[in-house]
Amino acid sequence: MNSEKAIDTTRQAVPFDTGNIPGPKMARATMPAVAGKMLAKAKRPLLIVGSEIHDEKVLAKVVDFGKRGIQIAAVGNSFSALGDKGLDAHYINMHALASYLCDPQWPGLDGKGGYDLVVFFGITYYYMSQSISALKNFSKIKVVSIDKYYHPNADMSFGNLRDDVFIAALDEVILQLPKK
Amino acid sequence: MIVKKGSFVIEGLENVQINIGKVGAEEEQIAQGPTPRPEIISLRNWDYRLLDRYNPVYTPTSDMCDYCTYGKCDLTGNKEGACGIDLEGQSARQALMTNIMGAACHTAHGRHLLNYLTRKYGNDFPIDVGPSNLQAPLTETIMGIQPKTIGDFFPVLDYVEEQLTQLMATTNTGQEGSARDFESKALHAGMLDLLGMEVADIIQISCLGFPKSDEKAPMAEIGMGILDPTKPVVICVGHNIVAPAYILDYMDKNGQFDKIEIAGLCCTAHDMTRYNRNAKIIGSMTKELKYIRSGIPDVLVTDEQCVRADILKEAQKLHIPVIATNEKITYGLPDRTNDNVDAIIDDLVSGKQAGVLLLDFEKIGELVPKLAMKIGPIRKAKGLTALPNEEEFKKLVAKCTKCLQCTRDCPESLPISDAMAAAVNGDLVPFEELHDKCVGCGRCDYSCPVDIPVLNVIEKAAQRVIREEKGKVRIGRGQIGDPEIREEGRNLVLGTTPGVLAFVGCGNYPDGTKDVYDVVEEMIQRSYIIISSGCAAMDIGMYKDKDGKTLYERYPGRFIKGNLLNTGSCVSNAHIAATTIKVASIFAGRKTKGNWEEIADYVLNRVGAVGIAWGAYSQKAFAIGTGCNRLGIPVVVGPHGTKYRRAFIGKPYRKDDWNVFDGRDGSVVNVEPAPEHLMITAETKEEMMPLLAKLCFRPSDNSLGRAIKLTHYIELSEKYLKKMPDDWHIYVRNEADLPVAKREQLLKLLEQKGWKIDWEKKKITEGPLRKVDVSFQPTNVPRLCKEAKK
Ligand code: SF4
Ligand code: SF4
Repeated sequence: MNSEKAIDTTRQAVPFDTGNIPGPKMARATMPAVAGKMLAKAKRPLLIVGSEIHDEKVLAKVVDFGKRGIQIAAVGNSFSALGDKGLDAHYINMHALASYLCDPQWPGLDGKGGYDLVVFFGITYYYMSQSISALKNFSKIKVVSIDKYYHPNADMSFGNLRDDVFIAALDEVILQLPKK
Repeated sequence: MIVKKGSFVIEGLENVQINIGKVGAEEEQIAQGPTPRPEIISLRNWDYRLLDRYNPVYTPTSDMCDYCTYGKCDLTGNKEGACGIDLEGQSARQALMTNIMGAACHTAHGRHLLNYLTRKYGNDFPIDVGPSNLQAPLTETIMGIQPKTIGDFFPVLDYVEEQLTQLMATTNTGQEGSARDFESKALHAGMLDLLGMEVADIIQISCLGFPKSDEKAPMAEIGMGILDPTKPVVICVGHNIVAPAYILDYMDKNGQFDKIEIAGLCCTAHDMTRYNRNAKIIGSMTKELKYIRSGIPDVLVTDEQCVRADILKEAQKLHIPVIATNEKITYGLPDRTNDNVDAIIDDLVSGKQAGVLLLDFEKIGELVPKLAMKIGPIRKAKGLTALPNEEEFKKLVAKCTKCLQCTRDCPESLPISDAMAAAVNGDLVPFEELHDKCVGCGRCDYSCPVDIPVLNVIEKAAQRVIREEKGKVRIGRGQIGDPEIREEGRNLVLGTTPGVLAFVGCGNYPDGTKDVYDVVEEMIQRSYIIISSGCAAMDIGMYKDKDGKTLYERYPGRFIKGNLLNTGSCVSNAHIAATTIKVASIFAGRKTKGNWEEIADYVLNRVGAVGIAWGAYSQKAFAIGTGCNRLGIPVVVGPHGTKYRRAFIGKPYRKDDWNVFDGRDGSVVNVEPAPEHLMITAETKEEMMPLLAKLCFRPSDNSLGRAIKLTHYIELSEKYLKKMPDDWHIYVRNEADLPVAKREQLLKLLEQKGWKIDWEKKKITEGPLRKVDVSFQPTNVPRLCKEAKK
């Protein structure tokens, strides 16, 4: 994609919930291509999606990620929209997942081992923000938010985005992923 | 079959002997277990057993510590602060402090009641909570005594207060440093919280004529639309019944119930209806600001807990006098306790004083109705309300610039600007929907850069639904009586009752109050016993089916499957926890006095009870949850519960964590993860329901019970998550554990997983983790095994 047209996801990089300021370390604002390249390079990436993916356009993006071979942790009620799409999607409770991701002994959702990179979008904002505070402070896993909202507890995050920009940004992330 | 006492055997389970224990007069007033009056580390071994399986998971809201002047210290990445504490330790310390706050709140409430009630009724006033010998299960289990009179509770509260001081001392900088031990202490605080609550509710039930284990307690009206706003309106806010009781007595004596409307907000409301059937319930704390802003209340009476900090400021704007009746909340108001009632009324009616502190209950009882009669007509003539009129409303919604600042400040991230836009076009439905989801915090008012009073706009737009907000709640019944436990014990053993689900806590729901109604309706139709208390009990009664009936009107209130029970206010939560002790004692003959570990071990392994605090917001709710955890009861919290910053989550993939002992011989048995977690959140109600079903599994389930529990787990997962649970097979020990209707299909699925099936006999020959053994006595405590006892 032409870099002039690239979407700038680094603006508005302030916690979406005004009071959600955890401390001195907050996520670096990132561009979709950077997030996409990290995802493409990761040895064992995991995409987490939650109860806010039921909108048609957002759901289509989840499916696109899945079709590129990214394993999906479907938290909350999201599995109900994903189960019939032929993806490598697994239901798990987000709070439990946060706990397991901090445990190097966890065999992963498919028994093939833990993960080195977690990306996510479409989960109740404050719920995910809290859940990844466990990863931020008690694990070595890299966390990249490609959510519509800036997540201070991630290592890298998009800023707060408009709906259309969010979908376009997800498209740019997907572009970086090798086709299966 | 109702078995009252002795032993019996169930057909088909001939090698299981069930003992219905002897309770009461035959038992001595001496401790039967090793830990009467446990000190802060007396139960540490039990706590470690829990913590080693259910690891604390920390989700800090702040990566900093600013408790002492060394700091602020940045603890990000689990670094140590200047004092040496790391983020894990600090998070655990916060969990402890939160528990202490909650426990102190309930205990101080109990202390206030105890001092007052013993002064009024005497120390020797007998305890009477209904048809029970085991009248104070938590007191017996923790203290090792069997109280008979209300005065017997003095040493109990002395003990709780002393222990809370000890615990608080450990949070000072330079004291405890181990996260694990902070958590053990937090569990201790949670247990103390249950005890403080039990004292408070038992003495008020005994002295104040509340329903005593009454499954047929009458209905009370609930909702923002139930009062006649043309009459003077008195609203009592908080949790402590004493002041409202005097007001109700005065009104009763003077025949004023047709002249004045009196209702409560938050748990005071529950206790007012338990005290006098003429009282009504407005709703939970989330209705507080909304109702005040409506201008309907003519007098506000505050006592303690869950009272908004801005209540005086808000009331003052609408000339609603505030009568503070408890030392814990005084708002800087003048103490008029020693003044003449009429003089105080004059000052309040004239507006000379916005409110008063009044600690003389007789005076409160007289003043409040008189004040309402006097100020009510004046306020109504002025039409005082914070809500905009039609013209103002139109102008306000048109002002919205869609900046989203309100949404960013809103705890529920509500789409306020969309509703504003719809209202500009005359569509109020989005606002009506917001009204249910809005927790009435008022934060949006502060955030709007163009000064739209957002909450008032929502409430104005929702007037149509508010007028219809009329529900029914069965008045708080108090304890579960011993006879009910005896009767239901059989079903609990057979598993025809799949579990006990306790819906408790506050109204900080992630998606409105309706979720609680929906979940209760689903689970009660599946024959779970639903027990409720506090604000959750109120919200359950807020919705009606197509025939106009609330759940309380549709389902009876006995402790048997498919029933819906309201125990009462916040402090009535003690009875819910205590029910599990009663099962262990009455049904299984376990000794209670001073025997916490054995009882909790029994509950953890055998009683399929789960607590749900879907909208928990307060420190009190966290303490209740933690206390239940120490008693072996898992708790599920809504997504806001991650902001409690600590959960207890099991790791099913760590096989050794699920080793238990067989009490018969001390042998180690690797069991299925049951219950899988002790405290966990869910993101949505769809996720919550199968989780509840799963958390009802217990290692002791017999095949019929396991099959029933498995049926619900699978069905709920299929219905709400559109999938078979990934782990359903872990809970299958033999073919009899499989739901009959699906046996064939499930056997095929098991075969696909590599299990061996004898298709001729329709039997599983290889695959399960363990075999069913109906005499299995799972325990996590080595000393409780027969071998160890020898
Ligand atoms: S009052 Fe309601 S709409 Fe406003 S911030 Fe609070 S919850 Fe949100
Ligand atoms: S803060 Fe005010 S102007 Fe901004 S979206 Fe909310 S109501 Fe509209």
